[in-house]
Amino acid sequence: MSVLFGSKYFGFILSAYGITAAVLVALTVWILVVHKMRRRQLSQLEKAGMKRASRSNV
Amino acid sequence: MTTDAIKKTSGLTALANPTRFLALVRIVLPYLAVLTVALLGIGLGMGFSVPDDYQQGRTVRIMFVHVPSVWMAMGAYMVMVSGALGVLVWRHPLADVAARSAAPIGAAFTFLGLATGSIWGRPMWGTWWVWDARLTSFLVLLIIYLGLIALWNAVEEPAKSARMAAVVVLVGALNIPIIRFSVEWFTTLHQGPSVVRAGGPSLAPHFLYPLLIMGLAFLLLFLTLHLMAMRNEILRRQIRTGQRKAARSHRGGAAPEDQA
Repeated sequence: MSVLFGSKYFGFILSAYGITAAVLVALTVWILVVHKMRRRQLSQLEKAGMKRASRSNV
Repeated sequence: MTTDAIKKTSGLTALANPTRFLALVRIVLPYLAVLTVALLGIGLGMGFSVPDDYQQGRTVRIMFVHVPSVWMAMGAYMVMVSGALGVLVWRHPLADVAARSAAPIGAAFTFLGLATGSIWGRPMWGTWWVWDARLTSFLVLLIIYLGLIALWNAVEEPAKSARMAAVVVLVGALNIPIIRFSVEWFTTLHQGPSVVRAGGPSLAPHFLYPLLIMGLAFLLLFLTLHLMAMRNEILRRQIRTGQRKAARSHRGGAAPEDQA
């Protein structure tokens, strides 16, 4: 890694890895947040008396 | 039907049940996630240890994120093609879930392929972008992904949106061989294939092995995210079904089984 510092193209390499990490982390966080929200919504519906649809179909 | 065939059928049928599928996801996900992180770590370590390329110098390291992103962009589309066939031919209940869940992930990898390619192109080609066949067909892939995401969200009725999207996915699949062979059919600034090609990879082993490890890591990352996204989509459909039943019972009518 240290070999990259001071390299003529350091900015390009850092940008490529940086944007990849940012997009993939953002995608993962988004999927996890949506999961949490949907679990909460589903448990609210179940509290309101809904039977789980998963036991019959998708 | 042989015993094996019966077992096979019941296994596939079992997966069509969301509860069983979600239970399987719960078991598999932690292992997949750990394996993904481990392989990413190994791949990055190997990638940053390679010597400079005689032509590209240190920028050759961009290959280890650019190429796997491109592979996964096209791989995710092939998952959508399988899902589309599952919707139109076999009417498997999870086929549309699989196709729909792969779209945003595929779009993200396509964006990464374009962005990292552009960043790599600037020092190597002297330009961020050129309208050559490879780059343009890859941009078309991103547009197809975005169009499909919009289509899935625009049509409210699930069975209808599944069928419409499946047809568009299959038509859009024509772009995949165009992307793959664009560098052979047309004169492009983009280089020709160097890994999957007749006569074997042209890459030196010290570049090829880290690239393959990163490719495998990205594949596992895609599988992990796809399973997570499929789980979210199943929950969305359960919520939708529950809300519709609740709305119907509020109106005093019967609550027929919703098809999601």
